[in-house]
Amino acid sequence: MEKTLIFRTVREESPGAKWQSLFDYHWPAYEQWYLAEGERERPAYLACYNALRQHMPELLDTYRTLCDLAGGGDLAARLLSLYRPPPYITGCSQAVLARSDTTVLARNYDYPPELCEGTILYTNWNGRGVIAMSDCLWGVLDGINDRGLSVSLAFGGRKVVGEGFGAPIILRYILEFCDTVPEAAAVLARVPTHMAYNITVADAAGRYVTAMIAPDQRASIRRVPVATNHQKKIEWYAHALASETLIRERQLSILVDDEATTEERLVSAFFSPPLFRHDYRRGLGTVYTAVYRPRDGHAQYHWPGMWLKLSFDHFPEQQLTVRYGARGLNAG
Amino acid sequence: MRKITTIADVRRHFLSNKEPIYFISATNFNLLGIGDWVGSFRHINYIDCFDGQQRNVFVPKEKFPRDFESIEDINNYLLEHKEVIDFIGSRADGESAGVAAFLMFDEHTEEVCKQLGLRVAFPPAALRQRMDNKIETVRIGNKAGVPSVPNVLAKVGSYQELCEVSQELGNDLVVQTAFGDSGHTTFFIASEEDYYKHAEEIEAEPEVKIMKRINCRGSAIEACATRCGTVVGPLMTELVGFKTLTPYKGGWCGNEMFAGAFTQEIRDKAREYTFLFGEALREEGYRGYFELDFLIDMDNGEVYLGELNPRVTGASSLTNVAAFAHSDIPLFLFHLLEFSDLDFELDIEEINHRWSHPDSVDSWSQLVIKHTDESVDLLTQAPRTGVWKMAEDGSIGYDHYSYHPHAAENDQEGFFLRISGAGDFRYEGADLGILITRGRLMDDDFQLTERARAWIDGIRGQYAGQSLQDPVVEEVAVSHAVGGGNFKIL
Repeated sequence: MEKTLIFRTVREESPGAKWQSLFDYHWPAYEQWYLAEGERERPAYLACYNALRQHMPELLDTYRTLCDLAGGGDLAARLLSLYRPPPYITGCSQAVLARSDTTVLARNYDYPPELCEGTILYTNWNGRGVIAMSDCLWGVLDGINDRGLSVSLAFGGRKVVGEGFGAPIILRYILEFCDTVPEAAAVLARVPTHMAYNITVADAAGRYVTAMIAPDQRASIRRVPVATNHQKKIEWYAHALASETLIRERQLSILVDDEATTEERLVSAFFSPPLFRHDYRRGLGTVYTAVYRPRDGHAQYHWPGMWLKLSFDHFPEQQLTVRYGARGLNAG
Repeated sequence: MRKITTIADVRRHFLSNKEPIYFISATNFNLLGIGDWVGSFRHINYIDCFDGQQRNVFVPKEKFPRDFESIEDINNYLLEHKEVIDFIGSRADGESAGVAAFLMFDEHTEEVCKQLGLRVAFPPAALRQRMDNKIETVRIGNKAGVPSVPNVLAKVGSYQELCEVSQELGNDLVVQTAFGDSGHTTFFIASEEDYYKHAEEIEAEPEVKIMKRINCRGSAIEACATRCGTVVGPLMTELVGFKTLTPYKGGWCGNEMFAGAFTQEIRDKAREYTFLFGEALREEGYRGYFELDFLIDMDNGEVYLGELNPRVTGASSLTNVAAFAHSDIPLFLFHLLEFSDLDFELDIEEINHRWSHPDSVDSWSQLVIKHTDESVDLLTQAPRTGVWKMAEDGSIGYDHYSYHPHAAENDQEGFFLRISGAGDFRYEGADLGILITRGRLMDDDFQLTERARAWIDGIRGQYAGQSLQDPVVEEVAVSHAVGGGNFKIL
């Protein structure tokens, strides 16, 4: 069994034709996903609009523009709000290494490759450059803005679903309107999420936090450099076992606690087990490794034998094909 | 603007109206043709009965089959739909988006309207809900001197209790719950056995209305309570429970309006009662359009209050097309006037006098045609909205497109409003369409005439469906299973 995913870098300063063609390309799959539980389970457009207006009002202009590019319809606008989307789960590992001379946020994104958009988007929508791995058409799995603020999300390993937003749009909001970790932390404490996520943020000043957010409890925001797929105690044992969340957390904790760990050592740990995962069959294989350097505004994306180094000054548009096999992945 | 004192003023005002006025409902049936009287009037509907031909009907393009629970539910869906919000927004003047009228709405509708900048042209939902309560209606009627069929209001916990409280009413009883659709919450009880069929529903209620069963005919009358007095429309007969039209026993399935419906004495009595009731409603804080059902006792000619619908109704389509409506203004315009900011002083007594004259009432009938079989299929063919013509042999054919019942010029023509169309599911109780025609469709014994039967057969014959066993249909059925599109038009 082999899966192929094409990664593209796309640069478009203001929302326009490029974003529109990404929307057109991905929409049929998203529509099906959005309707998976029945259209009635999804909130009405007005509720979506009101939720955005209440919790992330600064995003409204961009939202409206994207809705227009998406054809101005009802369903697309509801999906794009990411307010109470259908529940979904992911794997993922992430860690911050903060030293006196360097800060790096690294992560593995573990997910079914066929459900990953594979778009690395460079935008300047609200007077801030943002480079991010895109999800849900304008949401963010991980990314960095031109002030150096870097973010990454991991599923929180809990089944609870409630009133709130899909995390990718919260990450987009942070990158569009925050400069620092304290600002991002305030957003994470305030904006409701519909599922449990662990979100790690690092900034150019070397600050970092991990926020454990969930719809049923107050956000726990602490100076923790490591996050995998559980929040405090294990609640969902099957998921924890399948995703090996404890093993990965332990590995990352040992690494970042060790004074001798260098940036290279941390990043290369993401390329091999237990952090790198081959479980593509169950949708928990590693799709890519992302490395963000808040101090110099660099973003790097890795696949075995292949990598892209991008920055706000250097962002060539290109594409590369990644093959995911049951026994590992071969770049080609 | 200066004070409005004549009907001509009202007419001119609404013809040149610029502020958007919306009727938001499943279809535009109830207020057919009102757009001819009111500038900037638009219908916002879930079903396009006109296949895009009707300019003042807006139906969102992107819709999903849904199992709506009520008309309020449809209206709320529409008002929260992006295309509807964009449409209303595109016609708004700053913060003010205009006026909204509904068949049904609830508190949530009110909240949404407030946000969209729409003013609801009806008393608050909470007040309407209270007025809609059949028990409350009896009390208001009693206060106003409008009698109900001999009754008692009581909590009933058993058959024995029912017999005890209703001793004076005899053994043949009709029990009604406070709220409910026609034909769904009226129980006929003459024996213990009858009681047990409905015991659960009856005993769940805090209070029910227990009436003596009388030999009666149903009638309907619409009116509008304004600050200058209550304007009263003509007394109409009701078509109730015809098996060829509706699967619901005792369910409403149409109306007839004609000058000689009931005797002059009964008509006068009903009009007087309606006026008194309208004045009593105003005291309760309710104003605007309402409808009363009167039960006419065929044995002694007594006129009894049946129920109150504090809203526009299925009979409004007739009330607003008859001769009096065109020589003056449709009753609904009094409603819009009452909910406008205009200062007006009209001689309501004079209008009522004019409207009570037999010459003011030309004859109109309507049939609400539902699917009456238990079968379910997917419609592949449906008759178009417009004027249909009946040939000598009773067969019917499409004549031309129109949106207005008046386009049917004589007894051989009928205006048909298509509700279920190709691609919709046909299930028991589904509204297929509504036929409006000149003249009567029942005889003096309240039986459907031959012409009525020919129209019903003719319209039904224009529908064709594909069985659910067909694999293609099955696939559509599965995708519809998410929703279901199962709702009724009132």
